[in-house]
Amino acid sequence: MLLASSILIFNEKIGFSVQSVLEYYQGNEDKFITAKSTSGILKIILPHIFVFGLFIMVILHFKVFTKSRNSQVFHFIIYGAFILGLLELFTPLLIIQGFVFFAYVKIAVFFLFEFLMLYVFWILFKSIVYD
Amino acid sequence: MRPIVSGLLIFTLLYLAVDILVKSNSFGLFNSTIKLTLFGDEEQFIEPLSQASFLEFIHTEIFFIMMILLTLSAVYARVSHKKSFSLWIINAVLLNSLVSLIALAFSYYSSPLLINLYVVTFFFWHILAFYMATCSLWSLNFAKSI
Repeated sequence: MLLASSILIFNEKIGFSVQSVLEYYQGNEDKFITAKSTSGILKIILPHIFVFGLFIMVILHFKVFTKSRNSQVFHFIIYGAFILGLLELFTPLLIIQGFVFFAYVKIAVFFLFEFLMLYVFWILFKSIVYD
Repeated sequence: MRPIVSGLLIFTLLYLAVDILVKSNSFGLFNSTIKLTLFGDEEQFIEPLSQASFLEFIHTEIFFIMMILLTLSAVYARVSHKKSFSLWIINAVLLNSLVSLIALAFSYYSSPLLINLYVVTFFFWHILAFYMATCSLWSLNFAKSI
């Protein structure tokens, strides 16, 4: 539900096209969209830094109870989740500096993070049901 | 460890109480006030809640409920004496909170009738969580043995 609501919010407030991401952060005079400031973005990401860390830790610590706890994939997922979380949080700061490339990164990272968490949920549910 | 967990439980009790107070002053606690917040009222010139605001609200609610009930269930399962009963309580609190969130989302997007279900499950999970926190505090500090 948290992941589903985050997709809906992203779609409602920002949009999934590169153009809409750029407009949301860099503004658009024609559409009367004001550009986001660094302090405005920091206000949004401040609670999310704590929340992302806690959420990833809480979800991934359940993997210790599964059979795949010592696998190489598990380590890859841990590092992957935290790196994707960091990119997800801090790419807006780079977008407002004019780096258009990071609008692509923002969208890609958002979906990668969602899929990674869904994959972890699937492993956890599978472990609960079959192990 | 006892003072730390007791502190956590006191904060949980405070959260549950303040959550009800905040909701009664902003979002609404009962059918009529929640309906007014979600859908507005033309006669009273009250604007309906925008989709972006609703999504932000439910997004934060999901996270907080998830974290509160996860930590509370972990403590309650550890300190409770009646294991089978505690399992029922934990399942009930999680199911009620889940149904309350789903009912709220569906009442906004499809049928306002589900607000009643939201109200009932909202109070149920708060009462159960309050009971779990109080029982855990009692077991930690006053019971003869854990």
